[in-house]
Amino acid sequence: MSGKPSDPPRPTDAELEILTVLWSRGASTVRAVHEAIVHRKPTQYTTVLKVLQIMAEKGLVRRDEKQRAHIYSASRPAEWTRRQLAGDLLQRAFGGSAKSLLLGALSSRRASREELAELRRFLEEYEKGTP
Amino acid sequence: MNALALWVHTPAAQAVGWALIHFLWEGGALAAVLAAALHLLRPWSARARYAAACLTLFAMPLAFGITLLVLLPSHNIETVTVVRLPNAVRQFSALPSFQPAPAPRTFRDFLPWLAPCWFLGVAFFYARGLAAWLAARRLRHRGICVPPPAWQGRLTQLRSRLRLSRPVRLLESCFTDVPVLVGYLRPVILMPLGCLTNLPAGQIECILIHELAHIRRHDYLVNLLQGFVEGLLFYHPAVWWASRMAREERENCCDDAVVEFTGDARVYAATLAALEHRRAVALEAAVAATGGSLMKRIRRLLTEPQPAQASAAPAFAAGLLLITFAAALAAWPTKPPVRHAIPAVALQARLLESQTVVPQSSPPASALRKSQDSDPATTFRQWLTQYVRQDVKSEIAQQERTALPGLASPLAQTSAGAMTDKETTAKQDALRKELATPYQKWLNEDVAYIISDEERAAFKRLQTDDEREHFIEQFWLRRDPTPGTPENEFREEHYRRIAYANEHFSSRIPGWKTDRGRIYITYGPPDEIEDHSSGGSYQRPAEQGGGATSTFPFQQWRYRFIEGIGNNVIIEFVDPTMTGEFRMTMDPSEKQAPLAVKGLTPLEQTGIAAARPAKTFHSDQDRRITIVTGGGSPSGNTASRLNTLVITPDPVAGRFHITAKVTTLGGQTVQVVAQNVLAEISGPFVEWLELPAGSYILRATITDPNGVSKASETRFTVD
Repeated sequence: MSGKPSDPPRPTDAELEILTVLWSRGASTVRAVHEAIVHRKPTQYTTVLKVLQIMAEKGLVRRDEKQRAHIYSASRPAEWTRRQLAGDLLQRAFGGSAKSLLLGALSSRRASREELAELRRFLEEYEKGTP
Repeated sequence: MNALALWVHTPAAQAVGWALIHFLWEGGALAAVLAAALHLLRPWSARARYAAACLTLFAMPLAFGITLLVLLPSHNIETVTVVRLPNAVRQFSALPSFQPAPAPRTFRDFLPWLAPCWFLGVAFFYARGLAAWLAARRLRHRGICVPPPAWQGRLTQLRSRLRLSRPVRLLESCFTDVPVLVGYLRPVILMPLGCLTNLPAGQIECILIHELAHIRRHDYLVNLLQGFVEGLLFYHPAVWWASRMAREERENCCDDAVVEFTGDARVYAATLAALEHRRAVALEAAVAATGGSLMKRIRRLLTEPQPAQASAAPAFAAGLLLITFAAALAAWPTKPPVRHAIPAVALQARLLESQTVVPQSSPPASALRKSQDSDPATTFRQWLTQYVRQDVKSEIAQQERTALPGLASPLAQTSAGAMTDKETTAKQDALRKELATPYQKWLNEDVAYIISDEERAAFKRLQTDDEREHFIEQFWLRRDPTPGTPENEFREEHYRRIAYANEHFSSRIPGWKTDRGRIYITYGPPDEIEDHSSGGSYQRPAEQGGGATSTFPFQQWRYRFIEGIGNNVIIEFVDPTMTGEFRMTMDPSEKQAPLAVKGLTPLEQTGIAAARPAKTFHSDQDRRITIVTGGGSPSGNTASRLNTLVITPDPVAGRFHITAKVTTLGGQTVQVVAQNVLAEISGPFVEWLELPAGSYILRATITDPNGVSKASETRFTVD
């Protein structure tokens, strides 16, 4: 990762979708990526191939050419790209406030490390207490 | 700026300013009510506390609006208002919350500017809300990935078991670090990347159930409305506090739903802990201090309610009450200026009105004063609980009516903690047993009406759960009308029909098991329903004897076309027991209250009870074909006559291809009865022929299951 002289640019929305597939499924062939994307919206195989080739040039993905079907993988972890995108002014202005609208099993605030430790202790004690 | 300066001195701006000030104590009073209610409702379920929090929160803008209406001048009263204002200054300057920053000379100078300041604040919060809404919408489309189809299938299964008929999509997103729900009309559950692969399946199901519970409870919509209230009355901490209470209790409600559904609080608690841990690992740097709400929730899930925290609520309530009293006493004397302006009677009427609309929004002064000389706390609390209990109870009753029996009643009971150990274990055992045979349930309930005999036999032969999962996947795949897309419209529609049947046809037995349920699930919604659910008098059509007759509740469903059965199929359901359990009947006389005529001919059993003398024409060329003429017209068109074509299959039942049309003697086609219809025939195949009087020829070609084809021409006349 650090071998790259410069960081890749911010991905576009289409590129981000392909990256998400790669992060989710791991290194994949073009066909696998296309199958994952076509599940959501009709997309040509050649379009996916073209975008992947451009992304490889930009350094967003890496291409493993050892096998006959080239295998692509994301060059940066999801967290890295997310932070890169969080630098995006638009994202920062909107992303933060969106949290108040989302409903989830966890609140948007994070638990501290002490809390996590306490949590784990409590669960362990509970497990012991109720066989 | 000049225009603004002019505007702020108009009575309307002044009224807004006063309403804002009055809401200081109104909001405080409502929050005190809520604090007391939450305390008193502690032994009740989270749903009751949630209802209390929501009621209070939405009573706040109502209180503000009513105050504003009362204060809005209907006459020219500026002078009166302004003259009296200095009084208010002395009383209000004691309150810390509106110490003006630029320190104006008098309160009178300051008050008018409250309204524009407030408008600015509201505009800011609403702009932020709009941005948040747009961003949340963006989350559904950006940086997402469709998860393996098995998960969408699992979600659909859970959805049908939760009796949720709205479609829900599951997506992986690279932007969230916790599972979240987005959208109200087309809800989407977003899972963080890697969650689906790294967490155990049982835990993911817990998460999905939690989010589905949010959807079922319409939480996304309520949350949006909450945002509106927060923005409108942003300056009052009580609003934010009530809103936070509603959010907390909402999560508790969904927690309860998960535990209720899975029967295992431990797995769910572990899920929450695991999620939080994942998030912490993902972003080690960000360590924010929290109020320990997750810890509280997990404790609540696993143990009895914490008695230690109980002492905080009354103290808080008492404090709020004190402040409220002070504010109320300070605020009431400022009313006279307005009262002078508006005729006294009209004002009183308006006040009375406001009290009847929201009792707790404006506590009658008499009640407050009275409570001061006796024991203030008890009297006031009694007064409060009386109102709050009523509201909460009706709210709960309403929720229970809308939710379905399986989940609602135990949910309303209480959280896991308040149940006795025995109850809990018994319930968990029952649930585990059920979970042990989900495949049995799938076979005998989910797809009971649509699985073919061969498929059923094949499924029963399967040994491992993996094989069964695969079979189920293939089962739906075979029926998917659009195999290329992730949506399986057939499965979606099927589960929707089950949910619909359970919602609408349930009586003593679950809706999907009833006759109406079976027909609905198999053939979908009918094109027309003639509803006589209340029974009573019924104008009988001529072919059933005509005249008025008294009937049991009944419904007639009409399908324009059912593949394999034919055109214009009418199915009649009767409820002879008056229990809401409608039974399918082929005998039109069954709906008549004094149960009539047993021992019908086979023809009559198929729904044809000719009142007029029926003429029967047998085909010479194909003995399977019979045409019965006679009877009236179901459409009421007296020019045509209702006649019947009956094809009785050979002793071997099976798939017949049937093509039949009616022509005049000259060969002109009058009615195409069946155009290469593939019919799975086990009893007589019946078609209605609606024809004016005359002579006709029925030209039919019937191909039997062995592939033997036979064409025939049958002459018949309609009188």
